[in-house]
Amino acid sequence: MGDNKSDVLQGTLDLMVLKTLEAMSPLHGYGIARRIEQVSGDSIVLNQGTIYPALLRLEQRGWIKSEWGTSETNRRARFYSLSRVGRKKIAEETENWERIAATMARFLAPSN
Amino acid sequence: MDFFRTLFSRIAALTGDRHRNNDLDDDIAAHLELLTQEYVAKGMSEDAARTAARRSFGGVTQTRETYRVQRGFPRLEQFLRDLRYASRQLRRSPGFAFTAVLTLALGLGADIAVFSLLNCILLRPLPVPYSDQLAVIRSDQNDQEHGPNYSFGSPFLRSLEKHHDGFETTAGFSTRPFQVRHDSANVRVPGAMVSGQFFQMLETPPALGRWLTPLDDRQGQANVAVITDSYWKTRFHRDPAAIGQTLTIANKPFTIVGVMPSTFVGADPMYRPEIYVPVWSEPIIDAPYNAIQSGFHSWWMRVMGRRAPGVTLEKANAALTAVSDGILDESIPDAKWIKDARTHRFHFAAEPGSRGYSYMRDTFQKPLVVVFVLCSAMLLLACINLASLLMARAAARERELATRLAMGASRVRLIQQLLVESLLIAVLGTAAGLMAAPAVSRFLAAVLIGGNGAYVILDTSLDMRVLAFVAIVAVLSTLLVGLVPALRATSKSLNEQIKSGTQSVHSRQHGLLPRVLMSMQVALALILVFGAGLLATSLQRLHRIDLGFQPANLVNVSLEMNKQSRDGDPLFAWYRQYLDALVHLPGVKAAAYVSYPPMSGSTWTETIESTISNGEQVIYMNSVSSVYFSTLKIPMLAGRDFQWSDNSTSGLKVILSKRAAEKLFPGQNAVGQSVVMSKKNYQVVAVVGDIHYASLRKEAPPEAYLCMTQNTDHKPNYEAITRIEGSVAPFASAARQLASKMAPEIPAPILTPMMTDIDGSIASERIMAMLAVFFAICALLVTAIGLYGTLAYSTARRTSEIGIRMALGAKPEQVVGLVFRENAWIAVYGSAAGLVVAWFAARALTSFLYSTSARDPWVLILSVVVLGTIASAASVVPAIRAARIDPSTALRTE
Repeated sequence: MGDNKSDVLQGTLDLMVLKTLEAMSPLHGYGIARRIEQVSGDSIVLNQGTIYPALLRLEQRGWIKSEWGTSETNRRARFYSLSRVGRKKIAEETENWERIAATMARFLAPSN
Repeated sequence: MDFFRTLFSRIAALTGDRHRNNDLDDDIAAHLELLTQEYVAKGMSEDAARTAARRSFGGVTQTRETYRVQRGFPRLEQFLRDLRYASRQLRRSPGFAFTAVLTLALGLGADIAVFSLLNCILLRPLPVPYSDQLAVIRSDQNDQEHGPNYSFGSPFLRSLEKHHDGFETTAGFSTRPFQVRHDSANVRVPGAMVSGQFFQMLETPPALGRWLTPLDDRQGQANVAVITDSYWKTRFHRDPAAIGQTLTIANKPFTIVGVMPSTFVGADPMYRPEIYVPVWSEPIIDAPYNAIQSGFHSWWMRVMGRRAPGVTLEKANAALTAVSDGILDESIPDAKWIKDARTHRFHFAAEPGSRGYSYMRDTFQKPLVVVFVLCSAMLLLACINLASLLMARAAARERELATRLAMGASRVRLIQQLLVESLLIAVLGTAAGLMAAPAVSRFLAAVLIGGNGAYVILDTSLDMRVLAFVAIVAVLSTLLVGLVPALRATSKSLNEQIKSGTQSVHSRQHGLLPRVLMSMQVALALILVFGAGLLATSLQRLHRIDLGFQPANLVNVSLEMNKQSRDGDPLFAWYRQYLDALVHLPGVKAAAYVSYPPMSGSTWTETIESTISNGEQVIYMNSVSSVYFSTLKIPMLAGRDFQWSDNSTSGLKVILSKRAAEKLFPGQNAVGQSVVMSKKNYQVVAVVGDIHYASLRKEAPPEAYLCMTQNTDHKPNYEAITRIEGSVAPFASAARQLASKMAPEIPAPILTPMMTDIDGSIASERIMAMLAVFFAICALLVTAIGLYGTLAYSTARRTSEIGIRMALGAKPEQVVGLVFRENAWIAVYGSAAGLVVAWFAARALTSFLYSTSARDPWVLILSVVVLGTIASAASVVPAIRAARIDPSTALRTE
């Protein structure tokens, strides 16, 4: 906790989850993880377990909500979808991320 | 917003612990199954797919852990776990837990109790707005004889009111019980006479009606009174119609104009008046006496002021000094007095008054501070004791802790866990102490107040200051108790030692810290025992003083005849009748009247001369009836007793004490000679033995007794000193019944056993000696437990070593000596250190000791012997137990 490096990474994962849920919901943890991997063109290989603390964090903030349902294999699983607050937050977070990405891009550009 | 939502969610999670964990498990199971299915679909075998799924998912345990951390308050949960662990540890050794909590509770309870007394006497400000602006006004003179004087006569008050430079308001007040008519008889109600600006100064608005103003405090105004909430409740059942009703105070009607709220306590925090009347009513309240008329001869008021905004205490002081001279001229009609005052630089001064003024403060302050120091020493001792016991216990857990350290537990984490254990002990101890504290402080307050009057109130209720003190002390004792053992138990060197397997060899280095702690404990105990010994010896000597009369079984019956109608001879006739009836009550052996019973705190002095007395002599006075001396068993050395027939026409008589006779008639027989007092001649009819009049400590003063029936004062009050057999209670009710039958209008007489007055006169000494002895006994007990406990633990750890020694031929006596010596050194070093400190610290007690040197060698020797005996007793048991070790068993266990 309070480790800066993982914070950035956390933020990244959070936004990915939000974007995924914006595109298709409700979705269970496995679905979200698979979708993230797919969208990234399998360039991201998640430790899929890390998705659950992230989901809990978003839920605690009230950005997403969950309800119990049944998975394709007939097991009890939670299905997540965006809340109204979450929908609003996506715009904010996207803007944030773009700003960071742009800044980082400037740093990473070959220097003159 | 996000923060709070997260917080609430986490708090909610605290409750449904089990449930949520299962939820996550469900999620993970579903996830893994879906993953497996995916891999199977890709063509893997079932087993390979399951393994791949697990790999893809990552660590299930880590996920659970991160999830758990995210979900609740990991620190809090950890703390709760530590707490559960600690309470398990304590429950496992209930003996230790009980001793630990009890020791702390004793120390803490006493400390809290004494602190709440200190708080109410020395710290708590008056509950009025901006109390820090208040100042107490006194008068100073630069001679040794007069200390600062807090009493004022009414002329000073009136002048100070006029020249109030630097003060917004200035007010005088005087408290005493008023005689108020309830039904047909007068009863005493605590009251106060206050000057016009009193209420304005304290800025507390009345709950009903109005307060008293300068307009009420003028001669010729109608008699008005303000009552307090409690009186309004008891007398008027909170009926608003009380305003405008009449109270009969000192037989005169007073109209109630206002009710003060319950928060209002007046300006003396140790006296709670129920009725306030203007200062101008004093001649009514004090009748037949008149302090206002006596002017500057009567010093009966306290004066306080509220500083004007922006005026510092220094400025106010300067202003007071500047007006002092003018006030002297204005209020004193006696040129000689003024001249005297000027040569001694008489001036007024102001001191901080946020706590109001109480004359009791000075009386109580010093003994309470001493008692507080004693308590704190006891608390410190209890903490050190627990620290060493915990350390010994931690030694038994060395392996567990070392293993945990080796397995990667951080030291901070282990220290936290160990501290939680001492925190638990401290919290339990504090709770127990806090529960006991109010009763203890009430008891202490009762002893302190003792004979100081029925109306003194020590409000020891807990307030923020006391609670803050409790919190600080609890935290401090947690650290004191827990930190050192925790640091040691987790230290590296210890760890190394265990690794190298030298546990059975007891290195000196290893044992140094516990020894130092134990020695400190012994030293503290010795100091406490020595202090207690001194105080107890001194008290014992005070009790053994020959008073010159026999106080046991004497009861003072205080009669207030000043507000009834009889006077002169009819009053004396009534007094005589009442005494006759009293003497005929069952169990009464003798009775006589006196105006100031010895040891009651009040005295009276006059200057007397004879033809050969070498000028006027200061003599203590009293006014008594016949058989006074035989009732008190004061020996009549020469001459005859007073008679009821001695009256104003039969020539003034006086009886002298032996000392007075020697002073007035050195080398001559006093009986038959005459003395001059206030320009009147008195014939000496007898010489009697000397008695302690005002103080146990001071020598018996020269005393002269006047005849009661020759007293020309109006409606004088007398106390009937009665020697009784059996208990006081039946006599008290009989004496009251008799009074109410013979004079229904007077307030019920107050009965005080003479011993109560005597005990009250040495209340400070008594409370100090009582507590000191109590703490000394506790200290001895605690030290014994500590010495025994630590030795028992360390011996247990040396079992195999001792076994080897015995196998190699050590005799049981040698083993006893070996073990015993450990504590012997502690006792010797501790006593030596204690002696050094006690030698210097005892001087602080000097002013409380009566004919006992603060370095009394006998007390010192006895303290060391007592402590030595206790220490030996505590050490012998583990030593003997060690000697009984069977070498073969001991060696086999290792």
